[in-house]
Amino acid sequence: MPFRPAFSRCFSWDIRNTVGNIPMEWYKDYPHIGYDLDGKKIFKPIRNKDELDEFLDKMENPDYWRTIHDKMTGTDVCLSDEQVDLVHRLQQGKFGDVNFNEYEPAIDFFSNEVMIHPVTNRPADKRSFIPSLIEKEKVGKLVHAIKMGWIKPRRPKETAPQYYDLWAKEDPNAILGRHKMHIPAPKMRLPGHEESYNPPPEYLLTDEERQVWEQQDPDERKLSFLPQKYLSLRAVPAFSRFIQERFERCLDLYLCPRQRKMRVNVNPEDLIPKLPRPRDLQPFPTLQSLVYHGHSSLIRSISISPSGQWLVSGSDDCTVRFWEVCTTRCLKTMEVGGPVKSVAWNPAPSISLVAVSYGENVILVNPGLGDRLICSATDQLISSYEEPEEVKDQQVQWAVPEGKAQEQGQRLILTHPKAVKQVSWHGRGDYLACVMPDDGSSLQVVIHQVSRRRTQNPFHRNKGAVQCVSFHPSRPYFLVATQRYVRVYNLIKQELTKKLMANCKWISSMAVHPGGDNVICGSYDCRLAWFDLDLSTKPYKVLRHHKKALRGVAYHKHYPLFASGSDDGTVIVCHGMVYNDLLQNPLIVPVKVLKGHIITHDLGVLDVAFHPTQPWVFSSGADGTVRLFT
Amino acid sequence: MSQLQARFFTDNKKYVIDDVPFSIPAVSEITDLSNVINKLLEGKNGDHKHVEFDFLVQGQFLRSSLATHLETENISTVMECSYDKTARIWSLEGKAVATVAGHTDVVKGVAWVKRDGLSSLLLTASLDQTVLLWEWSSERNKLRARHCCRGHAGSVDTISVDPTRSKFCSGSWDKMLKIWSAVPTEEEEEEEEESNRPRKKQKTEQLGPTRTPLMTLSGHTEAVSSVLWMDTEELCSASWDHTIRLWDAETGSQKNMLTGSKVFNCISYSPLCHRLATGSTDRHVRLWDPRSKDGSLVLLSLTSHTGWVTAVRWSPSHEQQLISGSLDNLVKLWDTRSCKAPLYDLAAHEDKVLCADWTDCGLILSGGADNKLYTYRYSACLSDAGA
Repeated sequence: MPFRPAFSRCFSWDIRNTVGNIPMEWYKDYPHIGYDLDGKKIFKPIRNKDELDEFLDKMENPDYWRTIHDKMTGTDVCLSDEQVDLVHRLQQGKFGDVNFNEYEPAIDFFSNEVMIHPVTNRPADKRSFIPSLIEKEKVGKLVHAIKMGWIKPRRPKETAPQYYDLWAKEDPNAILGRHKMHIPAPKMRLPGHEESYNPPPEYLLTDEERQVWEQQDPDERKLSFLPQKYLSLRAVPAFSRFIQERFERCLDLYLCPRQRKMRVNVNPEDLIPKLPRPRDLQPFPTLQSLVYHGHSSLIRSISISPSGQWLVSGSDDCTVRFWEVCTTRCLKTMEVGGPVKSVAWNPAPSISLVAVSYGENVILVNPGLGDRLICSATDQLISSYEEPEEVKDQQVQWAVPEGKAQEQGQRLILTHPKAVKQVSWHGRGDYLACVMPDDGSSLQVVIHQVSRRRTQNPFHRNKGAVQCVSFHPSRPYFLVATQRYVRVYNLIKQELTKKLMANCKWISSMAVHPGGDNVICGSYDCRLAWFDLDLSTKPYKVLRHHKKALRGVAYHKHYPLFASGSDDGTVIVCHGMVYNDLLQNPLIVPVKVLKGHIITHDLGVLDVAFHPTQPWVFSSGADGTVRLFT
Repeated sequence: MSQLQARFFTDNKKYVIDDVPFSIPAVSEITDLSNVINKLLEGKNGDHKHVEFDFLVQGQFLRSSLATHLETENISTVMECSYDKTARIWSLEGKAVATVAGHTDVVKGVAWVKRDGLSSLLLTASLDQTVLLWEWSSERNKLRARHCCRGHAGSVDTISVDPTRSKFCSGSWDKMLKIWSAVPTEEEEEEEEESNRPRKKQKTEQLGPTRTPLMTLSGHTEAVSSVLWMDTEELCSASWDHTIRLWDAETGSQKNMLTGSKVFNCISYSPLCHRLATGSTDRHVRLWDPRSKDGSLVLLSLTSHTGWVTAVRWSPSHEQQLISGSLDNLVKLWDTRSCKAPLYDLAAHEDKVLCADWTDCGLILSGGADNKLYTYRYSACLSDAGA
């Protein structure tokens, strides 16, 4: 609707004053109040009405209530009756005109009777039957707007009802949470006989006990009060410690936070590590097959030839015997000058020598068993030695035996300053280490070189009584076991590489894994400690399978087995699988307890050794027999 | 009281006595014979102590008097080898015939090459890495070492002669099998010993010319414990590396390998039923089919021994019988049709049984670590006696 200025509406307005619809204040200062139609000024009345006049007017004029001061013309107008009526009607919201009747009867524009002829006979347009084109246009515009992104279509509302968890954000520490998980306070101790006003006499403290009670600290006392006896309940005074006891109880209640102990339901079977069954770890020796009889006293040491055909044993009856493994036939017996402490067969397959230690001597014997060529080559090797020009003074004398000893097979005699307890060959077969245990001296271990007939003492200082030594199978390390520790020395750098701490009081025997990374130690306090040299200096595992002291331990060269023999007469064979990838720890499973030896003079099995190729174990005992378990 | 003539042989130098026939009462027993020997020895050396001797006669140990031993079943002879570095030839009639002493070390195996009425060839294998080929003429009772076969680098544990009797194969601790010719050659004959009877101390210089092997078969990774010929071109060997290998003797190549789980001690083949029987270091006797191509196929496992099985042999006449000897002092006779238990347990030895065999005439022999050689007679019953 076009805009019309306001003043053009009011044609019926006052034409006596032609100034229009303006605020009359503009004529406040002028004597006239406007202009009439002729253009002449309309003057205000001469005398203005002041307050007194107004007041008098109000009081006395009967028409005061219908007199209005007209601002346009400046005169007072008195409304007539019809005008007053009109005003009243307008105020009530009726129509102004009296004669107007708003409730005229409705006249039907069109009759409600159904006629036979239509209003118009115009034929229907096509647009009555087809979808509306206007709407299509509008829809197209909407689609375009949606595609352009000006209008975003509304996503349909999810019809699924929406819930929320009332208790989702519950905090157990919150007050409400604490109320729910109420842990009741521990109850106070009910009063016993001591608290009675008339306790039995044995509950009363004697003088000495009272003195002791008084001397003790209040924290130490068992009872915080002295039991007292009164004749009757009337005589019982007020309890002096009442407030203190209640205070202590309050301290207990709120200073000691109470917490529910969460019991973990652990299946005890889960704690046991899942070890494979022994059946899966075959082959390992299971029963005694052969017994080698012949010695008359306890056999301290055995050793197997590298081919696995012969066995040598040394015993306290001063003999060394050579046996054929598969038939238990003793092929040779050699008498030596003292109880034999240790025998060791040279592990090099091209040399046929056995080192035997008795007393202070170590003899190298060519047993003459096996391949003739090798035996003769060994003899030639020994005899082809040339003495160097300058003979250094050595602590150990090398001598070549003659006569009967030579015929028996002895090729070299080494005389040591002290009794030799153990001999051990290097893997190549040229170096031989001997142990002379003596806690004080620094000459406990000597290393001999057979081809040059030279002896060396590798250590300056004494570190403890040496129990046994061993060469490392592949690296230039030398392992020395004293009573509590095993020290690994690097022979090339001539320094101490590692010190392994076994938790044992007295180490008795030691063996190195053929792979070179693991060492086992047997000790006299029934423990077998397995060390992983890469892992740490403490034992990886300590096995306590035996009941008595361990005397000998051994590894198998090819199979993942190790065995330990002890004074309880048994040999325990364990599976010890070492993995090539450095991630897995060795798997140790005890597999078989082999019994057979008879305990003689409280000694059982003294030495164990594995066959080099077959999963068989030999054990020598104090009963004078060597037993083969297969 | 009848008297018998007897000669005493031994290789043990300490107890050598004169090699003259003695006249012994027929009812003498071991103790009596022992006393005789002891007296003779006391006569020789003043400080001889009385020693109990054991006597081997006719392949049997004297358990009762001499007279009962002279039952004659005189067809074949028996040879046994022993740890006193000799092998002996016994006849089942008469007396101990010959002692084959020539090795410098323990004799581990013997085999006949050929035996006919006049002269026989035999082989002995020993720990001194040699195999000696002997010729024995039974009429003159003379033994002569024809050849010394050297070549092994370890003790020779087992020998076996091929069916044509022209070759033999030896297996040893050096993991090799060597095939040699068994025909004695006449060139370079040494002067032979002119003696009509075997001597106690056979001169060991006369060992004959050295012979080298025709072929060496290598493949085993451990010692060879037993070898045998299956037919003229096929060899079978069992070893400590838990395998049985079949070789072609012509080309020297390995044809087949059967794998077991334990060390094999002994093996035997029966051409009648084409089965191999093995004894191992566990107490089972296993039967194998050598024709099987896939790995190991144990057809049957006979379990009754309680120690290592050191000897198995098929019966040459019966295709289902075999004997086995073991370290539990027993020799057992099995029938493969009843695999749960042996037919017989022959408990005669007091120590480990180290070898067992059949003779041509149906006797079973076994020798053991108690220095004894036992013969047993087994007569097959036609009726089913018992189960």
